[in-house]
Amino acid sequence: MLPALLALALIMAFPLLFLVFMSCHKWSMVGYAPPSFIGLANFAALADDERFIASLWRTLYFAALGLASNIPLGFAIALLLGEDFPTRNILRALLILPMVATPVAMGLVWVVMLDPSLGVVRYLLGFLGISSPPLWLSDAGWVVPTLVAVDAWMWTPMVTVICMAGLAALPVEPFEAAMVDGASTWQRFRHVTLPLMLPTLVVAAMLRVMDLLKVIDIVYVMTGGGPGHASETINLYNYLVALSYDKIGYGAAVALVLFALVLVCSVALARMRRAP
Amino acid sequence: MTRDDQTRKAAYAALGWLVVGAFMLPFLWMVLGSFKTTVDFLSYPPVWVFSPTLVNYRQVFGDNAFVRYLLNSLIVAGGATAIGLALGIPAAYALARWRRTAMGIALLAARMAPGIAFLIPLFVLFLQLHLVGSYASLIASHLIFTLPLTVWMMVGFIEAVPVEIEQSALIDGCSIPVMLLRIVVPLTAQGIAATSILAFIASWNNFLFALVLANEQTKTLPVAVLGYIGYTSIQWGTLMAASCIITMPVVVLALCVQKYIVRGLIAGAVSG
Repeated sequence: MLPALLALALIMAFPLLFLVFMSCHKWSMVGYAPPSFIGLANFAALADDERFIASLWRTLYFAALGLASNIPLGFAIALLLGEDFPTRNILRALLILPMVATPVAMGLVWVVMLDPSLGVVRYLLGFLGISSPPLWLSDAGWVVPTLVAVDAWMWTPMVTVICMAGLAALPVEPFEAAMVDGASTWQRFRHVTLPLMLPTLVVAAMLRVMDLLKVIDIVYVMTGGGPGHASETINLYNYLVALSYDKIGYGAAVALVLFALVLVCSVALARMRRAP
Repeated sequence: MTRDDQTRKAAYAALGWLVVGAFMLPFLWMVLGSFKTTVDFLSYPPVWVFSPTLVNYRQVFGDNAFVRYLLNSLIVAGGATAIGLALGIPAAYALARWRRTAMGIALLAARMAPGIAFLIPLFVLFLQLHLVGSYASLIASHLIFTLPLTVWMMVGFIEAVPVEIEQSALIDGCSIPVMLLRIVVPLTAQGIAATSILAFIASWNNFLFALVLANEQTKTLPVAVLGYIGYTSIQWGTLMAASCIITMPVVVLALCVQKYIVRGLIAGAVSG
């Protein structure tokens, strides 16, 4: 058993230790200059890197929009699918499809659907009276919310699935007591369901924030970070810096900052669970 | 059941289908698009009813390279799943019987770490070893997520196996590996099946690692599908057909393991 544990630790820990080592070096793969130790200079340079700072704020904006949309929507759908009605199990099964379908393929399908002139999204919005929708992915102001929407399509179902599990595990007594006290449906939701579900919602938010901050696949495929750098998230910038621009050491520093960011945000959310 | 109840249930059902139906729209559009000719594809308002064509699928499967990428995806996902199980089951056994908390923390850290944090060092390492572009490098890199996923899932299943059975096997003179193979593996067969499916899906869907570590010969489907977006023209119908083919296996597999999906996702079955 010990060898298996050792292999596990090695496979997971070695790359991260190597990453820390790299982040203290000026390191490039092209050319013959060997890596040179520069201490924390890579991290210091980050503070002056406007493109990095911009991508950092953009990623936080992306995550905030994502949380604000995914959690209420996912919870609402869970409440609906938690009700007892025929065909509900089919709906529950269908709802897992967006999160398992290959993100790259689905991102491309969304590019097709969002096409400003021929897309089905424009067509459907026409029925709602929206005749000149934004250019979505080619509009610098709309591109992030649009990507958040595509991400929400993929991952709101995860929030729903987690919330359905949480709802199913709630104790019955508080609801019975509220009924006896004559609480209205809204009061029961506000004062019984919501507080009891808070821990579940926090778990869902933690899982979402971890993935929101790391978003890259759909951005790479749908916009490549454009127009300009308008949708460049940290993870995408990280990829470009390290593996396209060959600044390996600097990229390693960015990766560590991203890791730290995910860690800090999820721990901050976890604390909310005890605080309220 | 009262009439009121029935009306309410019907309303819930209608609303449920509306909401979930909206979530299914991209799948519908992908499937419809894959059967459209270019003319149908590019008409506006979009056509919902048209005479379907198989030309897109013929084009995808007529392309030898695509078949090759399909095989690459199978090899990499199969390899990463199998090795993940081979290393993950013994590790999960050890952790299930001793150190639950430490493992929880380690796996949570692995869940938070961005893929790129592993990818950069692995890329440099594989470059030194002249392994970039090999199946070995792809499979090894995918272990970064299939392995924690496997351990996380299997710890739960192994804990459900009564310790007494294991102990009696050990007393009868079985070594630990033999006992694992003869007792634990058969007793957790269902869990192993669910775990392998989730690991397979995670590896199949992975884009970034293959983007960096694969070459023209070894690239997997998610990277290959980008090839349909050329610099001059985009073959829309073919792109949709290829997307359908990529998505189909994971969708079918996922429906088989519905009830384990949450656990898998918590362990990071899919993430950047």
